[in-house]
Amino acid sequence: MSIIVGYLPTPEGTAALEAAITEARKNAKLLVVVNSSRGDALVDKRYAVNEEISGIEERLTKEGIDHLVQQPVRGNDAANEVLQAAEQHRAELIVIGLRRRTPVGKLIMGSTAQHILLEAHCPVLAVKAGQEP
Amino acid sequence: MDVFSSLMDGFATALTPMNLLYAVIGVVLGTAVGVLPGLGPAMTVALLLPVTYALEPTGAFIMFAGIYYGGMYGGSTTSILLNTPGESSSVVTAIEGNKMAKAGRAAQALATAAIGSFIAGTIGTTLLAVCAPIVVQFAVSLGSPSYFAIMVLALLAVTAVLGSSRLRGFASLGLGLAIGLVGMDSVTGQQRLTFGVPLLADGLDIVVVAVAIFAVGEALWVAAHLRRTPLHIIPVGRPWMGKEDWKRSWKPWLRGTAFGFPFGALPAGGAEIPTFLSYVTEKRLSKHPEEFGHGAIEGVAGPEAANNAAAAGTLTPMLALGLPTNATAAVMLAAFTSYGIQPGPQLFATEGPLVWALIASLFIGNLLLLIINLPLAPVWAKLLQLPRPYLYAGILFFATLGAYSVNLQAFDLVMLLVLGALGFMMRRFGLPVLPLVLGVILGPRLEGQLRKTLQLSAGDPAGLWSEPIAVWIYVVVAVILFWPLLMRFWRKARPEAVPAVAGRHVTTAPDAASTNDENADTRALDDGATDTSQTTPAGRQENP
Amino acid sequence: MISSPTVASRLQGRSELGVALLLGAAGVVVFLDANGLATPYSRSDPVGPKTVPFIVAGLLVICAVLLAVNVLRGGSGEAEGGEDVDLAHPVDWKTVLPLVGAFVANILLIGWAGWVISGTVLFWGSVWALGGRHYVRDGLISLALSILTFYGFFLGLGIALPAGLLEGIL
Repeated sequence: MSIIVGYLPTPEGTAALEAAITEARKNAKLLVVVNSSRGDALVDKRYAVNEEISGIEERLTKEGIDHLVQQPVRGNDAANEVLQAAEQHRAELIVIGLRRRTPVGKLIMGSTAQHILLEAHCPVLAVKAGQEP
Repeated sequence: MDVFSSLMDGFATALTPMNLLYAVIGVVLGTAVGVLPGLGPAMTVALLLPVTYALEPTGAFIMFAGIYYGGMYGGSTTSILLNTPGESSSVVTAIEGNKMAKAGRAAQALATAAIGSFIAGTIGTTLLAVCAPIVVQFAVSLGSPSYFAIMVLALLAVTAVLGSSRLRGFASLGLGLAIGLVGMDSVTGQQRLTFGVPLLADGLDIVVVAVAIFAVGEALWVAAHLRRTPLHIIPVGRPWMGKEDWKRSWKPWLRGTAFGFPFGALPAGGAEIPTFLSYVTEKRLSKHPEEFGHGAIEGVAGPEAANNAAAAGTLTPMLALGLPTNATAAVMLAAFTSYGIQPGPQLFATEGPLVWALIASLFIGNLLLLIINLPLAPVWAKLLQLPRPYLYAGILFFATLGAYSVNLQAFDLVMLLVLGALGFMMRRFGLPVLPLVLGVILGPRLEGQLRKTLQLSAGDPAGLWSEPIAVWIYVVVAVILFWPLLMRFWRKARPEAVPAVAGRHVTTAPDAASTNDENADTRALDDGATDTSQTTPAGRQENP
Repeated sequence: MISSPTVASRLQGRSELGVALLLGAAGVVVFLDANGLATPYSRSDPVGPKTVPFIVAGLLVICAVLLAVNVLRGGSGEAEGGEDVDLAHPVDWKTVLPLVGAFVANILLIGWAGWVISGTVLFWGSVWALGGRHYVRDGLISLALSILTFYGFFLGLGIALPAGLLEGIL
């Protein structure tokens, strides 16, 4: 049993990670950090740089949390990657960050969060940026 | 009419609202394709060729010129922020530029590149305006024999000097000349290489060939080797420079311009060699040699000025002699032909207003580029997040649309696919595409001059060298052709004098940046017979 | 499995011989074609229509032979790199073949179904081949592009792309 967190190098992503760490601390479980990219553009801001990833790993090690950091680039959506990780690690909680979207933006782009909420087989904790969990 | 008043007339034409609009479209498109991966100015101009049939030539060429210069500006942005030089001419910029960006000086690197490009472009265009009429005056005094010799020189120089393997260059040239033969022989009216297909009787449309080779071939090739791991872009604000940066930049700008223009104007001089020369010179002259390799601003200022001056230089033989020396110029020349405008020394006389408006628009385009590039650099960098499927699907979509709209025949699309597959194969096996395109464009003109020459001499081959200029040019041609032999001879005589670079294979552009020093040194020593022990040209050729 | 790299490298060597073969074949075709031309005696054209094709054929055949020798001696052409090109992995036919498929579909459809339909198929198919999986969004973009270019070419450039099945509707 484990906790999956969808991580992005943004305020929302950081908030999600913080919330996930708090949850993991409560009852020491495996924390899986998923930071994926579809890999379909030359530059992807949502794909964290190596320094950030090693920073996260260092911190989790220091806190004594069992963890796994994944950066899959397989052409899949972030939502699918998170759901896949949840399936694979039999997650009991998924933590994601939310950000405001205009209705038009939602219509055109769809919403990763919505996709995860609808498809997940376990509780999903959605966190907003700048908000203590 | 003297140069100045012609140029003023040119400005009057170029500054009309419509033409100004085309210039703006051109520079915006140019910068975008320079920034976008997988797209370059040659491909873009090729894709736009059919669209321009509906425009009058002046507007179309003003737009093309904007794309050409804009591509040069945009290329430096990716070199600096991503260390992925899109064109071989910005490989050198990436060496110091990316180091500067990593050290938090991206804004200054972008600023010195943009301002340097502006200065070099402006000086280069001035030189173009001054030199081109002189070259024309010289060229109109030449007869067919000399003109034939010059075309041979241009073809062989591009084939033999650029690229990593002469043999493969000549193979590509041969294919291009063969494609150029297709259609009706202009003198006897017989069909050549048409295989009884009536649709081939008019020859292959140059638009279809250019779009196939530059756009379809490239899109298929990139699709086959898509880079999957995302790169990390260095965040940047608005470019600016401090006093110290200005002080360290202005001399390299001027020196870079001095290197760039003449090399650009030479057949096969290209933009790579001057950028490299500029880099080496700045490294030697710098008061801060220790900064080189860690982000020296001179190393960005000089090469960026050099490649923009080279771009202006390239237009000199293109406009004055009708000789393209790089891919973009080749496609622009194809555009002249498709408008029924005969390129060559007579161009200034027959199409004076068009040519001068084009030159004036280069000055305007340069200024526009400086204005849109300095404040908007962060916006351009955002383009890199465009998902690839749309980018390459878009290239194929517009390539198809362009090729189809020429004659509204599905047959052209079949040719597009066949030639696109050829372009794919050439990229796969290291055959440079530029000689092929030049062969297609220059081949028929070359044959025309040959026939004219021998007609004048009543079939006596001596007619080919009946003018002193022609003789001199053939000497140069011989030197270029036998250069590897000469070098081998020289090497034998003084074996220690030749730098030994063997067995290096540089494939990815970022790596190429670091090893470019050796590459440029040994480019001239390349020899088709010993390919495995060769360096490769850094990055790729000027084609997109 | 251990022998696979050597087989692969041998195959690669052989595939470049195909280029030599192509050059040679092109040379022969150019020669044969030129040979079939008539050369009317003419004072005004001593060169005739055959000379240049013969030279080109010669160049192609010589290149073919030299390239074959070069390849057999272990030479190989350098695949072209680029900003967006990763030469570390081999040619990805799973992307290229569907792309070509979309292209061919467009050729077959354009006359009969018209540009709006064939262009939509082309763009949507290409996006799919390149890894796009937002079927609906991609479809809308494809359709919008096709319709925009159809009207853009008609109104802006005066070029009437075929309307095909949608004749009368557009």
